[in-house]
Amino acid sequence: MTIQTIHFGRLEIEDEETILFPQGLPGFEECRRFVPLHRAEVPGLVFLQSLEQPGLCFVAVVVRPLWPEYELWLSGEDREVLGLDGEGEGDLADDVVALAVLSFTEGEPPTANLLAPVAICWGTRRALQAVRRDERYSLREPLPAMEEASCS
Amino acid sequence: MLVIRRRPGEAICVGEDVEIEIIECGPNRVKLGVRAPRQVAVWRAEVSATRAQNIAAAGWAHSGHGAAPGGVPARWTAKSRVVPLVRGSRE
Repeated sequence: MTIQTIHFGRLEIEDEETILFPQGLPGFEECRRFVPLHRAEVPGLVFLQSLEQPGLCFVAVVVRPLWPEYELWLSGEDREVLGLDGEGEGDLADDVVALAVLSFTEGEPPTANLLAPVAICWGTRRALQAVRRDERYSLREPLPAMEEASCS
Repeated sequence: MLVIRRRPGEAICVGEDVEIEIIECGPNRVKLGVRAPRQVAVWRAEVSATRAQNIAAAGWAHSGHGAAPGGVPARWTAKSRVVPLVRGSRE
């Protein structure tokens, strides 16, 4: 299918390249389908482009390389949304990736939302924003070693 | 704040269209079922802060930073994963 985007122009994408947020994202409940995009020269940076809204594109980072100790927290309900059967956490590690959505404020360094990471399950191509119930991380975490991540 | 005592199986109504049923009552947690029209967003309270942050995060496009330069990006798929992730914890 062909989708129109404001930032990347017209994109030709396959259905299997898209991911479904069955519940949308908070604030964007009506946007269910996204295509994750990246640039080889900026590893770890992911653009989550909406299929429904040409102008909606979240910029996110893959959590693991920047915060190696970070553990994704998924409730039983989250697992159901992702289509995980709840068995075998080893499988989960291979199949689920966590992204932190970045926020950009003029004149300030970007921050990452680690309180509510986006979890994508590759096996089911389903995703959700999994809000943590602890207070270890905030909605606006500073990025460690951003220069390294964006220049490597 | 309106306080109402309810038992499992009982429900309360909010307006005409929203019904909240108490499904199960444990020692520390209550399981609720919410019946609401599709256009009514139902979120846990902590999600509302995430909503505001998402709206702010989506605003980069209109902030004058403009589009990401460099032409059409590639699809980011399972194969292009940088590092496989992360385990989940059970409830």
